Amino acid sequence: MSAPDRRRAAAGGAPRLTRPRADWVERVLSGPVLWLGLLALTLFALGPFVWVFLTSLKTRAELYATPLQYLPGRLTAVNYVDAWTSKLTPFSRFFANSLWVSSVTMVATTAVSILAGYALARFRFAGRNVLLLVFLATQMFPAVLLIAPLLSQWYALGLIDTYQALIYSNFSFTVPFTVWMLVGYFDAIPRELEESALIDGCGRFGALCRVVLPLAAPGVAATAIFAFVTSWSELLFAITFTTQTEMRTLSAGLLFMVGQYEIQWGQLSAGVMISTVPVAILFTYLQRHLIRGLSAGALKG
Amino acid sequence: MASSPASVAVSLPRPLLSRRARELATGYLYLLPVALCLGGTILFPILKAMHMSLYRHVLIRPQEYGFIGLGNYARLLHDETFWLTLWNSLVWVFGSVGFQFLGGFAAALLLHQSFRGRAFVRTVTLLPWIVPGVVVALVWEWLYQPNYGVLNDLLLRLGVLRDRVAWLSDPSLAMPAVIATNVWRGVPFFAIMLLAGLQAIPDELYEAARVDGASVLQRFRHVTLPLLRPIIIVATATRIIWTFNYADLIFVMTSGGPANATQITSTYTLLTAYSTLDFGYAATLSVVLLVIMLTFTVLYLRVTRGIDSVA
Repeated sequence: MSAPDRRRAAAGGAPRLTRPRADWVERVLSGPVLWLGLLALTLFALGPFVWVFLTSLKTRAELYATPLQYLPGRLTAVNYVDAWTSKLTPFSRFFANSLWVSSVTMVATTAVSILAGYALARFRFAGRNVLLLVFLATQMFPAVLLIAPLLSQWYALGLIDTYQALIYSNFSFTVPFTVWMLVGYFDAIPRELEESALIDGCGRFGALCRVVLPLAAPGVAATAIFAFVTSWSELLFAITFTTQTEMRTLSAGLLFMVGQYEIQWGQLSAGVMISTVPVAILFTYLQRHLIRGLSAGALKG
Repeated sequence: MASSPASVAVSLPRPLLSRRARELATGYLYLLPVALCLGGTILFPILKAMHMSLYRHVLIRPQEYGFIGLGNYARLLHDETFWLTLWNSLVWVFGSVGFQFLGGFAAALLLHQSFRGRAFVRTVTLLPWIVPGVVVALVWEWLYQPNYGVLNDLLLRLGVLRDRVAWLSDPSLAMPAVIATNVWRGVPFFAIMLLAGLQAIPDELYEAARVDGASVLQRFRHVTLPLLRPIIIVATATRIIWTFNYADLIFVMTSGGPANATQITSTYTLLTAYSTLDFGYAATLSVVLLVIMLTFTVLYLRVTRGIDSVA
C-alpha cells in the first residue's frame, strides 16, 4: 500500500465524524457569493473591452445616435479598413513600426541579457551582489525621469525620428527585468552539467550555448516575449523621440489620433483593437512563466 | 566525445593569465554589453540630468541658455504647482493602490476556488493589466465621454444621475475618474500575485484548522492572512513605487488637467520636458524624482528584507 493510499484509508476510517459540517457562512460563500463574484469580475474586466469592440463595428450614424445605440445594426469593418489605410493616421505603418521596434528590442535585449544573466549566475566576482541590487532598483525607475536627458541626448546625436533612438531607449526598461529573470533561470540549472562540458573541451561560451541555453529555453522565451510586449506598449519614449507621422508606433499613433481636431471614435476603437490583440495573445501564452518570474523577481531583493 | 588521457597529456603553452583571472575576465566581458546598454540609457542620462538641472535651458529660448547654479532648485521650492503635484501623487498612489488591493484580493479568493471555466476567467481577469497603457486610457476616455459615453447613459437609465456628467473635465471628479481607471488596470496585478500566494499555502493547514473546528472566517483570519503577509507586503510596496511613477494614464486622459487637478509629479516632469521644452527645469524635477525613488527603494529593501520565498 502506497503512502497516499494509506492516508486515504485512514481518512476514510473515520467518515464524516471528525469533519464538522460546513457552516452556513461557508455554504453561502461557496454558492451564491462565488457565482455572483465571478460574474462581477468577468463583467468588470471584460465590459470596457466589449464596449470598445462594439464601437469599432458601428457606423458613424450609430455611434452618435441619441438615445445611445448599444448594438451595431449590421456589422461593418469600415472602421478597420479606414484606420488601416488612412493617410492621416496610417495604422498599417504604425503596426509595421511597432513590429520592427519591438522585434529588434526583443532580440537585442535577449542577447545582452543572456550574457549578463549567465555571468551573474556563474562567475563569482566582487560587486556581484551590488550589481544584482542595481538591476532590481533600476526596474523601478520611471521613464519620465529619463525623458529630458534622453531627448537632449538624441537631439545632440541627431537620432530624433530614428528607430535606433526608440530601440536603444527601450533597453532602459527591458534589460534590467530580463537580466533579473534570467539570473534566476540560470541559477536553477545544476552546475555539474556545464562542468562536464567544460572538461570535455567546451569553452564557457560553448557550454552556455550547448548546455545552459537549451535547458533554460522556456525561461528565455518568456523573457523575450516580455521584452516584446513591454516595447509594444511603450508610449512616452515613442511620442517624445519621434516627430514625423511615419515614425510613430501604434501607441504613439493612437495618441496622435486623439490630437487631431475631432476624435474619430470609430476608427480609434478599431485602432485600439488592432494594438491590443497581438499582446493579448502573447500574454495569454506567457501568463504562467511571468507570474512565477514576477513573484520570484520581486522577492529576491 | 572520448576524452582520452593522451589529449590531456599534451601540454598546452602556459597561459598568460591564471585560470581564475581568465574566468574573471570572461565574466566582465559578458557584462560589457549590458553595461553599455544601461550606461547609455540610464546611468549617463541621470548624470546628464544632474548637470542639466544647473542650467537655464529652454529649448525654444536658446539665447537665455546659461549656468544658474541652484537656480532651478530655488524655483522648485517656490513652485506651488510642484507642491500640489506631490499632494496629488499621494492621493493618486494611495487611492489607486488601496482599491487595487481590495479588488485584487477579492478576485484572488474567487479565482482560487475550483469551478468550471476557471482558466477562461483567469485569462479574462488579466486583460486590463496586459494591454498597452494608452489603450486603457482611451477605452476609459470613451466610457467617460459626456455625450456618447456608456457610463453616463447607464447611470441616467438607472436613475443615479439626473444630468450628464463631464467626468474628466470637472475638477472635483477628474481625480476619482482617473483613479478608477487605474484601479481597473491594477486589480489583475494584485489578483495574480495574491493568487500565487494562495496556491502556495498547503491544503493540510486548512484541513488541520477545519478539524480543529475553525469556521471559514477564522481560517481566513488565522491561516490565509498570516501566510499571505509577505507577498502582500512585497506586492503593495512594488505597486506603490510603480503607481507613483506611472504617467501614461493621466497624460493621455487629462494631461494633468483640469487646472492641474490630476497633475502628479511624474506627469508634471513629463509635460515640463515634452510641452514646455524647459529642459533645465525638467531635469531638476527628474533629479527630485530620483531622490524620492531612491528613498522608496531603500525603504522597499528594508521592508522586504528577510522575505525569501513565498510563491
